[in-house]
Amino acid sequence: MKCAIDIDVRDVEELFINIDPIQAGGRLTPDAMKAAIAYGDGYSVCDACQKPFRLDYIKKPPIAQFHTDLAEWLNMDQVRVVPGARRGFQAVASTYVEKGDPVLLTSLAHYTEFIAVEQAGGIPREIPKDEKNHITPDAVAARIEDVIDEFKRAPPLMFLDHVDYQYGNVHDAKAIAKVAHQYDIPILLNGAYSVGIMPIDGKDLGVDFVIGSGHKSMAAPAPSGLVATTAEHAERVFRTTRSKGDITARTFGIKEVEMMGCTLMGVTVIGMMASFPHVRERVKHWDTEVARSRRIVDALLSIEGTRVLSDYPRTHTLTRIDTRNSFDKVAEVHKKRGFFLSNDLKKRGITGVIPGSTKVWKFNTYGLTEKQADHVANAFVEVARENNLSVS
Amino acid sequence: MSRRAVDAIFQALFNLSDLRALMRETAPDHAMDDEQRQRAATYIEKTKRQIAIVEEELIR
Repeated sequence: MKCAIDIDVRDVEELFINIDPIQAGGRLTPDAMKAAIAYGDGYSVCDACQKPFRLDYIKKPPIAQFHTDLAEWLNMDQVRVVPGARRGFQAVASTYVEKGDPVLLTSLAHYTEFIAVEQAGGIPREIPKDEKNHITPDAVAARIEDVIDEFKRAPPLMFLDHVDYQYGNVHDAKAIAKVAHQYDIPILLNGAYSVGIMPIDGKDLGVDFVIGSGHKSMAAPAPSGLVATTAEHAERVFRTTRSKGDITARTFGIKEVEMMGCTLMGVTVIGMMASFPHVRERVKHWDTEVARSRRIVDALLSIEGTRVLSDYPRTHTLTRIDTRNSFDKVAEVHKKRGFFLSNDLKKRGITGVIPGSTKVWKFNTYGLTEKQADHVANAFVEVARENNLSVS
Repeated sequence: MSRRAVDAIFQALFNLSDLRALMRETAPDHAMDDEQRQRAATYIEKTKRQIAIVEEELIR
């Protein structure tokens, strides 16, 4: 079925259980779908935009109130919505990093953090992970000392992935922030896999910036996200323009430099707003989500030869699994080679595992109902049995 | 201009969005329990009512 010329309807979520590792937390709520219908036009939120002509001042629809509510929810002082977490990284890096500055990030950091550092002229320095794929406070302290030795100054900024995209491990942000602050280094928490699916208290964690992704974890259309900060840093990162035209003498009032004036217009911000009451509620049920994740991981581990590479028992719904000694053994002799797994899952109404992957792969169980979680757990075991793998 | 027809079109689309969400909730087999069947029936009924308003306003 087409929704327009040469554009197929996307009915993946209606026809399948989707366990794609990056898509789970971004599925729209029904209210966000309705908002998308009503606010699809480009400048749809600008009907009642009045002086001082900035997105976060718009009262109808209540975008201004949304900013206040977001800050309160994250226990931070100020928030701006941005086109994706990456644009939040960019705004903070551009403010704090000068050319040639060392910037700390971790060996589990997302590529967009590296790019934000590079764009600002910074030099990335990675904090190593330990044998359990964790970033520890001790490793952070040691790396800061290394960097100070090398550059004769402390880094002006550190990035930490609250939950890393590779293993879905939850890192000890509070203890790490404490170490960074001992060296007066502001810390940016990348909450792309936490803000919107699990409870976050920025002040309690002691971080200076909390970045979230709307399309990854806040049931919002892409590209959307947020950057939240404390009163201490807000004035700097949300500074307003001082530009003046040399011919026209024009100035641009309260437009914010790092936000490029207005940021998240139309369907993206309205979709985020429409989902927000549901998001605020759903983070309270994180334990249920983790329990369902554990059930599916345990089903996979009942298949002989399968290993989980993420923390076990799971504390997050994103998991990295190693099936080199189980499903990949089947792939070696199967007529469909590595594609048998995704094919067999698809026959059972499950999608999101990269076709051909039978070695090391990831999946995310966030948002599945109880019945869907059981279906996925049973499907893995059935596929294993059908292919003569031993199940305990 | 018919405000009533425009409202009914949006309301019908919103009811169908609720039905779409139910399809997601029950994927992949869409085997519904009693409560889900009741919700489906309600969304369908509400959609029919809105379509009737659109017909009344725009065609009859």
